[in-house]
Amino acid sequence: MIAGLEDKGRHMLTKDDLTRYERQILYTDFGEEGQKKLKQSHVVVAGLGGLGCSATLYLTCAGVGYVTLIDCDRVELSNLNRQVLHYEEDIGEGKPISAARKLAKLNSSVEVTPVFKKITESNAREIIKGANLAIDGMDNFKTRFIVNKACVAEGIPFIHGGVHGLFGEVTTILPGRTPCLACIFPEVPHKKGVFPVFGVTPALIAILQVTEAIKFLAGFGSLLTGKMLYFNGETMDFTFRNLVKTRIARSAGQKMSKNEHKGEASSDSAKTYWRARSG
Amino acid sequence: MKLHPILQKLTGGQEVVEVTGHPTGECLENPESRSPVIKQMIRDNQGQLRRYCEILVNSESTYPEELTTPVKDGDQIDTEVFFGGG
Repeated sequence: MIAGLEDKGRHMLTKDDLTRYERQILYTDFGEEGQKKLKQSHVVVAGLGGLGCSATLYLTCAGVGYVTLIDCDRVELSNLNRQVLHYEEDIGEGKPISAARKLAKLNSSVEVTPVFKKITESNAREIIKGANLAIDGMDNFKTRFIVNKACVAEGIPFIHGGVHGLFGEVTTILPGRTPCLACIFPEVPHKKGVFPVFGVTPALIAILQVTEAIKFLAGFGSLLTGKMLYFNGETMDFTFRNLVKTRIARSAGQKMSKNEHKGEASSDSAKTYWRARSG
Repeated sequence: MKLHPILQKLTGGQEVVEVTGHPTGECLENPESRSPVIKQMIRDNQGQLRRYCEILVNSESTYPEELTTPVKDGDQIDTEVFFGGG
């Protein structure tokens, strides 16, 4: 059971659960045990834009028991080409509130907690504390680095996603095991402002993030760890890049030499990681 | 010059290319000349570097002088791509 959250019989599946999730329970490596693990899990989605909307939609469909949504923006007309949980009638409303209302109708057994506030250095750890993982739905690197740092400090896995136009990237960060964002990027990228994007790009990247989340939470399959997956929608290419910890690990607050901080690029087994955490 | 993997796809998989020129903007012309798609991916219609690209010289960011940073023989130039939108 997640610390601070009420159990409400989350350790077992109800008759409705068995019906609702029948098709995914049929997946051999997942089964009823996997579904129970999802039901007991708590995922924080940071950012309710194109990535965050699609990610929470599929987390809720899949039956993740507790979902916390955090964003400080209000819905605007220009969001509606990609942010599929916000409708015309929601313009002006806080994004977490707007999204939580739709998700409650989609799956009332999921406990969705909307948090309408800005993520800062001083509140990030408190927001993610106790979660099983965090999903990156943010639209700027400054906040990403804050959440990344908090995840490393709390030992919470962080599934990074980013998009631009028809391009996207995704990787799974396991604190202490794989390079984190501060290791991957030599410094916080400087580029800011409005970026071009089609709705399909964050939808695709978010679905890859949720695929990683389901495997991690249920403990099966291989994870996209130690490598970044890039998507080029113009050419329909998927490319991988191995990630190595050779930079200053800012999130850990430590300066390391290039040779000292080498990590191995690999695919982590979700099962092994789950077992290690469950201890 | 070390190319980001998403650019390598456009140069037939070549990771490192020898470049000549001064400053960094001129060095970029080598990989750009190999494929019009690369140029289109790196620069906008005004010839400026696209917002998701950064150029590093010897692992140091050249922002905001990505195209005008001086380089000398033996310097390593990295092309980095960050997709930061959400």
